[in-house]
Amino acid sequence: MFPLDSPWNISFAGCGFLGIYHIGVASCLLEQAPFLVQHARHIYGASAGALTATALVTGVCLGETGANIIDVAKEARKRFLGPMHPSFNLVKIVRHMLRRTLPPDCHHRANGRLGISLTRVTDGENVLVSHYDSKEELVQACVCSAYIPVYCGLIPPALQGVRYVDGGISDNLPQYELKNTITVSPFSGESDICPRDTSTNIHELRFTNTSIQFTLTNLYRVSRALFPPDPMIMKTMCKQGYKDALHFLKRNGLLNFNGPLRDRPFLVNEKDKEYLSGEKEEEDNKGDEEEVKPHLEEGAVTVHSSSSLEEHIIGHLPPTLHKALVEACMERRSLVQSLGNLLPVRMASAMMLPYTLPLESAVSLTLRLLEWLPDVQDDVGWIREQMSKIVHRVLRQASTKISEHVFLEMKWFSCQLELHHYQSLPSQFSSTSLFPTWVNGPSPSVQDIFMRLDQYKTQLSGVLCTNMDLQGSLKDGPTSPNKSSSSILATEGLTMHRSCLSAEVQANSF
Amino acid sequence: MDPAATAAPIHNDCETEPNSVWSWWPSWRPTSMSLLKTTESKILSCIQNDLWARFVTLPNQDRIWTLTLNNKGVRKPAAPKTPLVMVHGFGGGVGLWIRNLDVLSRSRPVYAFDLLGFGRSSRPAFPSDAAKAEEQFVDSIEQWRKSVGLEDMILLGHSLGGYLATSYAIQYPSRVSHLILVDPWGLPERAQTQMEGTEVVKRPSPPHWVKAIAAVVSLFNPLAVIRAAGPWGPGLVNRFRPDFKRKFEDLFDDDTMTQYIYHCNAQTPSGEVGFRAMSESLGWAKRPMLQRVHLLPPSMPLTMLFGEHSWVVSSSGDRVTEIRGEAHSKLLLIEKASHHVYADQPEEFNRVVEDICSSVN
Repeated sequence: MFPLDSPWNISFAGCGFLGIYHIGVASCLLEQAPFLVQHARHIYGASAGALTATALVTGVCLGETGANIIDVAKEARKRFLGPMHPSFNLVKIVRHMLRRTLPPDCHHRANGRLGISLTRVTDGENVLVSHYDSKEELVQACVCSAYIPVYCGLIPPALQGVRYVDGGISDNLPQYELKNTITVSPFSGESDICPRDTSTNIHELRFTNTSIQFTLTNLYRVSRALFPPDPMIMKTMCKQGYKDALHFLKRNGLLNFNGPLRDRPFLVNEKDKEYLSGEKEEEDNKGDEEEVKPHLEEGAVTVHSSSSLEEHIIGHLPPTLHKALVEACMERRSLVQSLGNLLPVRMASAMMLPYTLPLESAVSLTLRLLEWLPDVQDDVGWIREQMSKIVHRVLRQASTKISEHVFLEMKWFSCQLELHHYQSLPSQFSSTSLFPTWVNGPSPSVQDIFMRLDQYKTQLSGVLCTNMDLQGSLKDGPTSPNKSSSSILATEGLTMHRSCLSAEVQANSF
Repeated sequence: MDPAATAAPIHNDCETEPNSVWSWWPSWRPTSMSLLKTTESKILSCIQNDLWARFVTLPNQDRIWTLTLNNKGVRKPAAPKTPLVMVHGFGGGVGLWIRNLDVLSRSRPVYAFDLLGFGRSSRPAFPSDAAKAEEQFVDSIEQWRKSVGLEDMILLGHSLGGYLATSYAIQYPSRVSHLILVDPWGLPERAQTQMEGTEVVKRPSPPHWVKAIAAVVSLFNPLAVIRAAGPWGPGLVNRFRPDFKRKFEDLFDDDTMTQYIYHCNAQTPSGEVGFRAMSESLGWAKRPMLQRVHLLPPSMPLTMLFGEHSWVVSSSGDRVTEIRGEAHSKLLLIEKASHHVYADQPEEFNRVVEDICSSVN
């Protein structure tokens, strides 16, 4: 039994186009256990999960949201290269849809309850936004959370003056660690609500907190997150979500549990009721759906994971949602489009691609440039800022590298001297009696150095004092010898001399 | 396999590896048996009861790293109690039981060992035949039992260990007084074989490219990625399995646990090879246990513990109860626990296991 005495949260994982799964889950929660949603302290979401979370918090019709997702998917599938086609502008579509569906006072409802996971561009840290001043800000937060770099574009969008990208990069399942957070993920793994694949694979990954089991079906799902599947499959995924959520409620004894408040936002109006009775028949003879599936190469994947045992318990999706999804799927089969789907036509369009693609790209590029115009100043300023930051960092790193290198070389010298020094003088020594014996060393190069040393012997007494004073700083920091060497000793010979002294000092300190 | 694996210096009581001509070459992977030893001793230092850790040498010269725990307070119990033997899962080691060893050893001696080819035990070559690989694992357990000198035991296995424990209990039933399976691997048959015939035709298989990727992946050892990643391996484990760090965060606030996991698995693969031989197409057992559970003596008590959130579906546990009858098999679901039941809900797990143990004697 899920503990209802303490406040609980709901968290939706980021998952791209598999967001349709969340819609199924959300509608089940709303229909079967509305108190669970209405009295949840926070509803979190990342990426596509943020869209569902927003819809839940603001009370937008889930059917509409689901239909929107399918529409976007259809839009993405329309082109030969899918979502990678230059004329497919995901950000624009999502923004437009959010503006259209969200009520004007949505930010009041979302304030403090809706947590959207974002990744700050400057340091890659995760940010959970839960305060929105206006509807536009809420829309922008959703857009930021779904902005997958490169896939969606190159210049990250800004929210309240800070640039953010996809929340899934830093935290794909916000607040999952709290014991009373209901985690929802379309990937089979160890989330509270997730599909249960009948696999026994031992390996499991955690993609920024989302548990993903290593199975064939999950592999397929991951690939479909950015390249949407057929609308019919998306509908099956939605159903799967509904089913898994129902399973969760049943397991936790929440199914027939009357919460403190029980008003159903999914009140079925008369028209829908009629529709419902019609739908039931359609559901009963599942034949037509089963017929469609063998034609689609991937049709069965989601079906595989659903246990047939539960099939009879689960009736169907909420009527509004079902209707919306069916309609969204239906449009596809217009005459023109089915003609376009014929193999020769597809082949021809593929063959024409080298010619049409540049043209389409040019057109869409111009369009994007035009749309970009209002933001150009901001974005260019931001790019310049980033560039200058990068240049600064590179320069700083290079300078430290060089100084380190110089220091290492010097240290090498001093080490050599030290070694030599140990060979020749294993017993106790004093700095003044040292130099004559050193000159007898075997290495000519070292001899050469000491010849020079002897030359400066007269200056030694004076410098020695200074160097002894430097002892502490020599041992303290690696950069200080550089400074001292450049400031006090000018000639090369003296530098050598100094490092040899430092060696001596080190030797003394043993 | 990378010959650089043998580069690291080898500690005295660590498994000695043959010195190769490449031993002067710096290791690509920042791991060695001695690093594993250091990390493990850091973990084991949490244990308060009497701990005896040593290598048990089997007749075939393989060495099994074994922990024996006895209660400090009780020197001579009135009647010797049946010891509890714990077998870890895939890619793990004795260190993972850290939250259970102390509590469970209060009432009876507890033995935990690294499976052959895992952790600090020897890493011999495994045959590529499923039955033979399983035989080698089970054989090593029996040889180990003989060397340690146990007459009978309460055998507890987690994940892969559960599979091997079942196989062991089938072969040597007289040695097992109670079999405890914690989220066991390899129970169910593959789905395809279940719905042979009409169903298969109706439901086409996943797309070809998914199969192709799966085929390529199955050419490699399961954890080859973290070995290939070399210096980035520990980071990979940290990034993709942060849950291990979290599960034990009240004991270690640094990366000790993820490092332990890394060092356990970045060594020369051996047990992994054995596991690969026994599994097919991403994790199904080639010789599923459900087909063999009826071979367990009907009178042998069996308890299965499943984590509520685990991906190991407890329905296969139901099947086992169906096959064996309810009299001597029990199924328990541990709430709010993932696959690693013993680490997620240690108190509940320890309580349940203790109850089972005291039911034996």
